[in-house]
Order: sequence, then C-alpha cells, then structure tokens
Amino acid sequence: MDIAYYPGCSLKQTSGIYDQQSVKVFKALGINLKEIDDWNCCGATSAGKYDDFLAIAMPARNIGIAENEGFDEIIIPCSACYSRTLVAQARINDDAVLKDEINADIEKKIDGSLKVSSILEVFLPLVESGELKKKATRKLKQLKPVCYYGCMLTRFSYNVAVPDNVENPQGMEKVLKALGIKAIDWNCKTDCCGASAAVNDSDTSLNLMARIMNDALARGANCMVTTCPMCQLNMDAYQEAYCEKHGISERLPVYFITEIVGMALGMGADELLIDTHITPSTELIEASDKELEKV
Amino acid sequence: MTATVYDFQPVAAQTLVEEVVARSGQPLTACYQCRRCAAGCPVGEETGYVTPDRLIRMIALGDRDQALNNALVWQCVSCFTCGTRCPNDIQTARITETLKKMAKEKHLEPLKPKVANFHDAFVKSGLRWGRVNEMEFMGFYELKNFLKDLKAGNFKAVYDEMMTQAKLGLDMFKHKRLHFGFLSAKGRGEIKRLFKKYKARKAA
Repeated sequence: MDIAYYPGCSLKQTSGIYDQQSVKVFKALGINLKEIDDWNCCGATSAGKYDDFLAIAMPARNIGIAENEGFDEIIIPCSACYSRTLVAQARINDDAVLKDEINADIEKKIDGSLKVSSILEVFLPLVESGELKKKATRKLKQLKPVCYYGCMLTRFSYNVAVPDNVENPQGMEKVLKALGIKAIDWNCKTDCCGASAAVNDSDTSLNLMARIMNDALARGANCMVTTCPMCQLNMDAYQEAYCEKHGISERLPVYFITEIVGMALGMGADELLIDTHITPSTELIEASDKELEKV
Repeated sequence: MTATVYDFQPVAAQTLVEEVVARSGQPLTACYQCRRCAAGCPVGEETGYVTPDRLIRMIALGDRDQALNNALVWQCVSCFTCGTRCPNDIQTARITETLKKMAKEKHLEPLKPKVANFHDAFVKSGLRWGRVNEMEFMGFYELKNFLKDLKAGNFKAVYDEMMTQAKLGLDMFKHKRLHFGFLSAKGRGEIKRLFKKYKARKAA
C-alpha cells in the first residue's frame, strides 16, 4: 500500500533519524511512504504568532500537492506539522472564500478531502488487524515505558475532530501492547515540554521538562516513548540541563515510537540509529536481548 | 509579587474586545471566570498573577497596555490546555498569539525579546527558502539577540547564550544529529505571492 508522506523540515535535519526509521519500519509492515514533491515548511507554531493567513496558507499548499498526486491519505509523523496541516484543512473546508483565495495562486489546487493522519493513525489499523503482532518477533522484556504524547496530538488551535481521548490518549499504549510491552500509566502524558521555549525561554522550559521527568521516574518507568520530534529532542538533548537544575540523578532514554516498533520487528539498534541519541539509549535494548538469551 | 489592579476604561474596552475577538476568533466575552484554564496552565507558576482568565479580564476591562505586554503573552507555550478545557470554548493560546502580533504592530518592546526574535526568524527562514534551515534560522535568531544585548552593554548575556548554544551544538554534532545540507522548495514563490497579495488587500 502506498501513502503520501510529509516529513517536514525537522525530519530532514536534526530529527533525520525519525524520517529514516519511519520509512524503514512502515516498509517492513507493507506500507510505502511516498514523500510528496516539493513540499514546503508548515510554519509550525511560529506562523500563528507571525501572521494568521500564513499559518493557513503554508500547510495548505502541501495538501494540494498530495491531493494532486492522487493520494487520499497523508501521514505526518511530526506532531507540529500534523497539527498545522489538520487545522489548515479544517479552516479551508469551513471557509470557501479563504479556500478560493489560496487556490487562486497555487498550481496544485486544494480539494480538501485528503485524510491527514498522525503516525499513530497509520499504526492503529495494523494493531486492529493483528498484522503488527504477527510481525513482532522480538520481545523487549526490559522496557517499562511511559507514553509521552505532548500537546499537539490531541489539542488544537481550531475545532477539529480529535482521533484519540483528549486528556488520556491511548493510541501509543495500544501499539506497545500489540508488541507485548505494557506501558505505565502516568500523569504527564499530554503535558508540554516547552517546545521552542527550550531555546528562547529556557528557564520555563527546563522547569516543565523536569516535572515530566519526575513523574515518569516516580511511576517506575525506565524509558519514555514519543511520536513528536520536538518532545524527543527536548527531553533527550536537554536532559542533563533540566536534571541538573532540579537535582534529578537518574537519566532515561527517550525513544521514538518507530524505534520501539522497529526493534520489535527485529531491526538492530544500529540499523535504527539509536546510538545518535544524546542520552545513552542502547543499553536497555542490549539488556533486553541478554535477558532473552538467559531464558 | 502582588496582583495589579486593572484599569477599567469603558470606551477602550469595547474597541479592544472587538479587535481581539475578530482577530483571534475567540468568544472571550463568554468567559465567566471559572479559572479552569488557570488550574491547567503549565506556565502559571512562571507568569505570576497573569493566568488565562486574568488576561481575558484585562481585555474585557480595556486595559490595553497591560494586555499587550505581560508575562503570559510572552511565556505562553501554546500548549492549548486552557482552551481544550474551557467550558465556553475560548482558546486563550490564540489570544496570546493575537496579542503578540498586536504588540508588534504597535512597535512595543516585547517583555521577552528572544521569544519574538525566535518566531520571527523561524517564519522568515521558512518563507525565504520554502523550508526552514535550522542552522540558518538559529544564526539569524542569535544574531538579533546578540545585537540587542551588545547595544545594551549586556556582555554576560551574550557569553552565556554562546556557551549554552555551543554546548548543545557540540552534543548534537558528536551524535551526528546536525545536518549541514541545505533545504529549499522550488514552489516557495507561490506562498510569497499569496502573502504579498493578502498584505496588499489588508492594507487597502
């Protein structure tokens, strides 16, 4: 099965591993991610603070490209890109004048019928069909993860249909369960890591991240799993900083969902580029494998 | 920190409320001050007395000066928790975004200049090339911060920022996470044209 794929700027730069993992993991599951041609930046959370028209027009152009390439569904693994594109589409479908205005100047006209899917919305049908469980050959015995959703998978700047429970989403838990991993329940699954505040208001952001980390540790988690490249980068790359600031001695790997699925499918930590995390993240996987050898 | 008394200005209140409602699309007059937003605000501890309900109150009372420049406007992380929980569907994060833009149009000095510089540099990079180049945009962002700090003679701020970014950059480099290629979209002219036409229409 082919599906349109919008990586976004982050997945082509600092979170390049998420791009490579997504393509690899879905291919192993029989889904080909087809990167749409000449896509542009979605504007992320910054565009809404700069100009409201741009915040719609930027992601809108990408919808037109995917639709004109003949796709009826697009997968957007980055939470910010997903949120912005979903909102742009809803805004355009609710406002015919705005839609005409944007369509007047773009080559690939927008129809507005494209299904905009997060990475979880593409994984979940494979959970329901039993396909994921069937292909998951490797048991990851040592993982005690908390699922970290962040803000942008369930809360939106505009009234859109949210595909999961807003306060207590379960999509990631369902994916992990199909792989034989039991996620730990916790308080901070939809809390904010501060996103760009890590750069422009680091005091605020480090406090938010430490609160998330403290709850994960208090619940006995030994790793976090996320679908958002911003959450992953912040929780991983700033881990020394926020732990040091708040006197936290433990450190936790922060995995992309694609890393957990990929490993369960039998891929190696090196193949999935997990050694490129800032916080050491391969030991837990090696421990899992050793545990299995013992049995 | 103590709570500030807001200045009620009946005439100013009407124009301010109308402007914010129209631009943000948020029905802020429906607010009945239940403070569910304040209870869930993750930056509530950082912004002192300015919580989403207080911000709405400032606008409703017509206190334009405070509404345009307070800790919440500049420290709101746009997590959308307040609006998701609001019984009256008021998305206050859209209001803080609107107030940022209004403050900029009035050439007010932002309470957190780095926040303003960041979003500016990000969108401009996205517009310039069609895709955001992280290195380029971070360069522009830091340059703006440095110039401001240097002008103010604040050398320590420049040094601290350089050290923080250098440490992060080195960490990322060591782990092969930095990308030195260059991204662009050929169709970026379409977005630029749309934006130009839109601005011209708004000005007319």
